Amino acid sequence: MIKELTLVGIVAITTYGGSKSAFALDVPISASVTGSCIISTETNGTYGQPNAYTLTTAAADGGQMPITRVDVTLASAYKVKFTVPNDFSSSPSLNDVVTFTGDTEVSAVSDATNMADYETDKVEVSTYVDEYDLSATGSTWFKHTSVATNGGSRAFPSGNYTAYVTAECIAL
Amino acid sequence: MYRTLIFLLFIGVANAHQMSPTYPKWSDSYIDDLSVTRVRVFNKREDVEYYEIGVFDKDMRPIPFVTQYDLRGIKYNNYAMFDVYINKKYKQDAVYVCSESKLLDIKVAVSSKICSKFKD
Repeated sequence: MIKELTLVGIVAITTYGGSKSAFALDVPISASVTGSCIISTETNGTYGQPNAYTLTTAAADGGQMPITRVDVTLASAYKVKFTVPNDFSSSPSLNDVVTFTGDTEVSAVSDATNMADYETDKVEVSTYVDEYDLSATGSTWFKHTSVATNGGSRAFPSGNYTAYVTAECIAL
Repeated sequence: MYRTLIFLLFIGVANAHQMSPTYPKWSDSYIDDLSVTRVRVFNKREDVEYYEIGVFDKDMRPIPFVTQYDLRGIKYNNYAMFDVYINKKYKQDAVYVCSESKLLDIKVAVSSKICSKFKD
C-alpha cells in the first residue's frame, strides 16, 4: 500500500514537472484603457445680496462661488465647456428685466507644469460660455461667478431664486 | 425687506458624474440595419437620480436612436450600462453620445453633461 502511494506520488510529481517545462507559457495580462471624464461639484454656491437689486456670488458681498472639478484620465481627449447663468431656472415673478454677468476661471490644478496655460488658453465662446482644452491628465478646479442685477434698480421680489451652471465634458 | 430673503444658487454636496468609454465604437447588432454601442454611466451625485442619453452629430444636433431607457434612474454610487442602437444610415452622422444629469430638485444647480465621441 505504501509502495503504491509512493509510486503515485512520484508519477504525479514527474507529470507536473514535465508539464511545467513542456508547456511553459507567457501568461498575458491584458487591459483596456477606456478613459473617462468626471464632473464633480466641489463647493456649493450661494448668492449674497449687497443691495436690494443685486445678487452676487462674491464673497465680499456674502455670496459663495461654486467650484467645479473635472478629472480626465486621457490627455488631450476632452474639452470642458461651462455656461454660467443667464437666467433664473426658478424665481418668484420678476418685476423687471434681470441682467446677468458671470465668468469661469481655473482656480487650481493638479499638475502645475502641464496645466499652467489652461486659463490663458481658454476660449471665450460667448458672454456666458467658456471652453478649456484639457491637454493633461489629472484634476482641474474651476470657479464660477454670477451677478444678477434687477432692472431700474428695483428690489428683487421676495422668494427663492435658483440658477444653473452647466458643465459639459466633450470628447475631442 | 430684502434681508428676509434667502437666495440660493447652488446647493448640494461634493458629487460626481462619470461616463466611459471616451471613444465608443459601433458594432453590428442582432437586428438587421442597426448598429449598437454600449456606454457606462456612473452616478456619484446624491442630488441626481436620472440621466438622459442622447446621440448627436458634429454640431450637437440630435440623431435618432433607440435605447431601452433614454431617461434612466441610476441610484447614488451605482452605474448603469446603456445599449444604444442606431440605424446604419445615421451612423456616419453620429459623432457624440452624451449623458446628461436631469435636475429634478430645483435647488440643485450644477447640470453636468458628458459626451463620448465616435471616431473612425
